[in-house]
Amino acid sequence: MNQIKSDKIYLDNCKTSRTDPVVLEAMKPYFLQKYWYPGPFTSYGTEISEDIEKATQIVAESIGAKPEEIVFTSGGTDSNNIGIKGTAYANQDNGKHLITTIVSHPSVLAIFLDLEESGFDVSYISADKDGFIDLEELKNEIREDTTLVAITHINHILGTIQEVKKIREILDSANHKIYLFTDSCEAYTKIPVDVNELGMDLMSVSGHKFNGPPGIGFLYCRKGIKIKPIQHGVARFHKLKPGGINIPSIIGLAKAVEISFSNFDKQYNKYRKLQNRLIYSIVNNIPKVQLNGPRGHKRNPANVNFSFSAVEGEAIMMMLDMQNIIVATGSGCSSQSLEPNYVMLQTGHTHEQANSSIRFTFSRFTTEQDIDKTVLVLTDIIRELRRRSPLWKE
Amino acid sequence: MTIKYSDKVIEHFQHPHNLGKLENADVEATEGSAACGDIVTVYLKVNPENHKITDIKFQSYGCASNIATGSIITDLAKGRTLEQAKKITWKQAADELGGLPPIKMHCSVLAVDTLHSAIKQYEKKYLGKVFDEHLNKKNIEEKLKSIIYPKVGLDIITLRMVKYVKLDENNDVLIEMTIDDEYKYSVFEHITNQLKNSFPEINKIKIVAV
Repeated sequence: MNQIKSDKIYLDNCKTSRTDPVVLEAMKPYFLQKYWYPGPFTSYGTEISEDIEKATQIVAESIGAKPEEIVFTSGGTDSNNIGIKGTAYANQDNGKHLITTIVSHPSVLAIFLDLEESGFDVSYISADKDGFIDLEELKNEIREDTTLVAITHINHILGTIQEVKKIREILDSANHKIYLFTDSCEAYTKIPVDVNELGMDLMSVSGHKFNGPPGIGFLYCRKGIKIKPIQHGVARFHKLKPGGINIPSIIGLAKAVEISFSNFDKQYNKYRKLQNRLIYSIVNNIPKVQLNGPRGHKRNPANVNFSFSAVEGEAIMMMLDMQNIIVATGSGCSSQSLEPNYVMLQTGHTHEQANSSIRFTFSRFTTEQDIDKTVLVLTDIIRELRRRSPLWKE
Repeated sequence: MTIKYSDKVIEHFQHPHNLGKLENADVEATEGSAACGDIVTVYLKVNPENHKITDIKFQSYGCASNIATGSIITDLAKGRTLEQAKKITWKQAADELGGLPPIKMHCSVLAVDTLHSAIKQYEKKYLGKVFDEHLNKKNIEEKLKSIIYPKVGLDIITLRMVKYVKLDENNDVLIEMTIDDEYKYSVFEHITNQLKNSFPEINKIKIVAV
């Protein structure tokens, strides 16, 4: 039931992923039969209330949180805004210094740019070539007026898993409370995320990154933290996210969570096998390539990123597209601003390496056959583009 | 907004014409930079009697439209005299491809510039022509005509975006221009690469958005 025949090989799951048909089935009744709002006393109102409570419980349990610490949002950007701005503004009497990193997701960086314009002072922690942020620099940047540190848990380009636990320890060694926000949109369902084990106070998650429905996500918000709403309206579900409740999507999200955690270890091992298969067969079949980002267990198991010497990424992406294989590139030619990917440049990769980079990201639907076919096609494409390139020397 | 390639761009990208090295070429020219993500090399073989381009080939490091524009300019130039080929414009190359998205128009400029550069090489080498290629304000401004503002697909001189150009005695270049959007850094980078490639004697380049 959950296998749909497709002639496409989709390896851009970090951008968005296919909604699991089981998830879609779970959502359908909430559009057609049970389309009403939750409410007290009535049979129909309490039925929906209970369904939402159950969904919230499933989501909360998956990260070791309490149900009241879950705020359903419209996705990653929404969660990031509510969490980061809400904490920064609520705590500004204690200080207006905030910390993020140069490799944070663009949606996080955009918020900090806005906060800077609103009078906050922001420090941007640098990262090494593999994308790991400099923890010594973080230590040194902490000031008496620092109230919040926001990081991207897994880097969306290089697959770097940041050392959240160590970051928490650094923040705890300061002599005042500093909140830790993690944008865990890439991390959630790919690596174990327990909010008490890792110690984040706020965390954003997006549904469409793990075969859930688009337009839904959640913000984990630790009980007792000082945060104020940045959106205003009727608080039907949570004061931090007022307005209508997206019931079908909440149900769908919970179903996607349930599926992801029903065989988490098995899926984790499958991701690792797919990752190794892709890395080794690219290295073994295509000369002059470079794996971007860390190797081994410190890398997102569902991410592979390579640069291919003497060829340009958009051309690779287009040729793969013509063979029904979908990937992403860090090339400037395919970006709206014509600038190569900023994570690649900020981590000391050259423009050439950024321009020739291709990112492959997996979902639960990715198969070994997908990987093998991709490498077969890719090998021919790189050979052909190198034949065309004045930069290629045999 | 949907940004799409025309069918003809895709066709030339998939099956480029006149691709590869020309072993017995009279001249070759390369323009662009790996940093900017696009490089084109053009090889020419010219009949010394009638100055017709008897053979032309190209190589490209770049995106789909870069490869397609490289291909189309070889079609346009083959069999033409040098004088005729000099008149090929980037607008014409783009039109031949059924149009290019504004954000990709610089590919057309690069391909045509490389063709013109190869013709110039030939004229210098075989016809004894002398060109003023010195570092001076006029030549800098001439080079800026090859810089496309990706939002509209026209060059920054035609669009009157360049307000001030100064070259001082230390060979430092100052350019003031109006630009304040997401293309700013890519335009600055293209200007820097273009000028450094054309005039290696330039010491520093400063570009300011005013």
